[in-house]
Amino acid sequence: MGSQTDFADLSEDNVLLDVQGLKKYFPIRRGLFQKVVGHVKAVDGVNFFIRDGETLGLVGESGCGKTTTGRTILHLLSPTAGKVRFKDPEQGWMDIASMSRQELQPIRRNMQIIFQDPFMSLNPRMTVKRIVAEPLIINKIAAGQELIDRVAEILKVVGLRPEYMSRYPHAFSGGQRQRIGIARALALRPRLMICDEPVSALDVSIQAQVLNLLEELQEQFDLTYLFIAHDLSVVEHICDRVAVMYVGKLVEVASTEELYYNPKHPYTEALMAAVPKADPRQRDRPIKLPGEVASPSNPPSGCYFHPRCRYAKPICSQEEPALREVEKDHWVSCHFAEELSLRGVVVGPSV
Amino acid sequence: MSDQVSVKAAGSGQNVQQPTRRDSILDVRGLYTYFYTDLGVARALNGVTYSIPREKVLGIVGESGCGKSVTALSIMQLVQPPGRIVKGEVVLHRQNGAGPTDDVVLTDLARHGVAMRHIRGAEIAMIFQEPMSSLNPLFTIGAQIMEAILLHQGVDEAEARDRAITSLDRVGMPSPKVVVDQYPHQISGGMRQRAMIALALSCAPSLLIADEPTTALDVTTEAQILDLMRTLQQDIGMSIMFITHDLGVIAQTADEVVIMYLGRVVEQAPVDPLFYDPLHPYTRALLRSIPRIGRGIKEKLQPIRGVVPNPYSRITGCPFSPRCDSFMTGVCNVNVPGVTYLDDGRAVRCFLYSDRVEENG
Repeated sequence: MGSQTDFADLSEDNVLLDVQGLKKYFPIRRGLFQKVVGHVKAVDGVNFFIRDGETLGLVGESGCGKTTTGRTILHLLSPTAGKVRFKDPEQGWMDIASMSRQELQPIRRNMQIIFQDPFMSLNPRMTVKRIVAEPLIINKIAAGQELIDRVAEILKVVGLRPEYMSRYPHAFSGGQRQRIGIARALALRPRLMICDEPVSALDVSIQAQVLNLLEELQEQFDLTYLFIAHDLSVVEHICDRVAVMYVGKLVEVASTEELYYNPKHPYTEALMAAVPKADPRQRDRPIKLPGEVASPSNPPSGCYFHPRCRYAKPICSQEEPALREVEKDHWVSCHFAEELSLRGVVVGPSV
Repeated sequence: MSDQVSVKAAGSGQNVQQPTRRDSILDVRGLYTYFYTDLGVARALNGVTYSIPREKVLGIVGESGCGKSVTALSIMQLVQPPGRIVKGEVVLHRQNGAGPTDDVVLTDLARHGVAMRHIRGAEIAMIFQEPMSSLNPLFTIGAQIMEAILLHQGVDEAEARDRAITSLDRVGMPSPKVVVDQYPHQISGGMRQRAMIALALSCAPSLLIADEPTTALDVTTEAQILDLMRTLQQDIGMSIMFITHDLGVIAQTADEVVIMYLGRVVEQAPVDPLFYDPLHPYTRALLRSIPRIGRGIKEKLQPIRGVVPNPYSRITGCPFSPRCDSFMTGVCNVNVPGVTYLDDGRAVRCFLYSDRVEENG
């Protein structure tokens, strides 16, 4: 994704959000005067875009910067560097990364977030009515009886009974609480929804209910999702395209099918091989990744993945590979993306 | 236990009597564990019966609150007040050489008694989900492994240290001679779980209970730990009871599977028929509700309707009946189904397979 892309290009490709060179560094402070002695490079130059109406998955292991990326896009954390361009339905393209709080407020209604933990992300002292109504009150969209009607309608949409709106979050199960979180995010009819591990805290039988709900809502309200998750089976099910992150950088972005069945980055290959398949007739041994995930405060030279990569050559420790478009719509940051022939997920028989 | 009564299932040729078990290392028979809380009695286990095959991996699957962890704690006699084992027994079949097994009824032993303390850690070891909170942050990895060895094996400190290093080496810990003197915070999550496994295996237990050992780990680390556990199990010939909610992990590790729902075993079967020919409606529904990698097609997930009821409520009839697709009015909401044992050694608790009723349901 060349940094010269202008807005006209983006609109042609039906892009809703374009992220370029996004960085988020957290300072490490030590000593009496809290001197900055280094930085944790949680997000270290990330480029991607999301098309209008699609679901982009963002996957990677814990600490790779997935959540920080999501929060920095929404400006819940201010970015250290980079551009986050969003096509607001009323005001057109704008770079949210450089905006102030006041400037952001009217745009925020078009970008919402669903959090992982349905227990921590709802205020236990607020009724469901108050939780779902709050965004409508802040944005002065409705008041009085109209407000109540709107809340009831939204609750119905997410599959909750409006009669329960005066209850508190503790009276609901995990799955229902996640629905409340979705209702709150949906209240303003946003364009972009960032789903940060929305089903990982839920039981398997409840996961499917919430995933189906997210799919239905996307169809009904033309939503665009950035779906942050670590469960690759869930991601394959729900995402149109997937971006793989490793130590603050994207290593591969492609359509779900390409990425799963024709991966071009060695890390993606290892990740796909590691997923425990729910089929006892397909027991394969994982690809051994030697060593540990690199530290984002002291990453290795060259390609961050080279110390663990079984295909690494001398150039990998010297030069950092750029994320480049190897095939149409398939972006990889590996020096040998064209030469390597990697193994994707093996298609199993249907059970 | 009423489960031993022989009744012929109507016209199906299925024998309802529990077949004489091929070699098992541990039997759980009609176990009831209740928690007497201020909110009421939480019936965590309602007559759990299953056996752990010797030198095999038994997977225990279920959603949160189904009693899978309480089963493990009950076996280890670690259920804390206000919880207690109300009824039932846990029998360990100790193998001494080639002779007949020496049976110990664990539920008859005093919880804090010498006999139980000798079994815990030495014969049955346990590893937990969160390695950070189950290792003591104030002691080195080596000191914690040595404690178990000194307690159970009667060797001196130098020898215990050597054995600790050996066991760290066996679980694939890089530079075990360094790690032995390190504290838990100095190593990564995956390495901590390896240290936990080394600690559990240090006294060569015949049964290892692993309670969600990889749930807190990343997928590449998880794959390595599962691979390690499988290799060790084959090398040492130990039995493993593997508790998880992840059907993918079960498919990859287990030889046999027990499916639990609301404090009862609803199905026990070898892993292949469980995935390819599941019997119980809950097992079928669970398998339909999970997204599976490598299917190549986007099909809509079929969720199980409703939610797991809270443990304080009492449901008349089959506990799964309010959510079941095969629900039969007048049958499923009246009685609790008994266990039907099929000819191929599988067990299922559902009226679709026999009209056997649980006596004290």
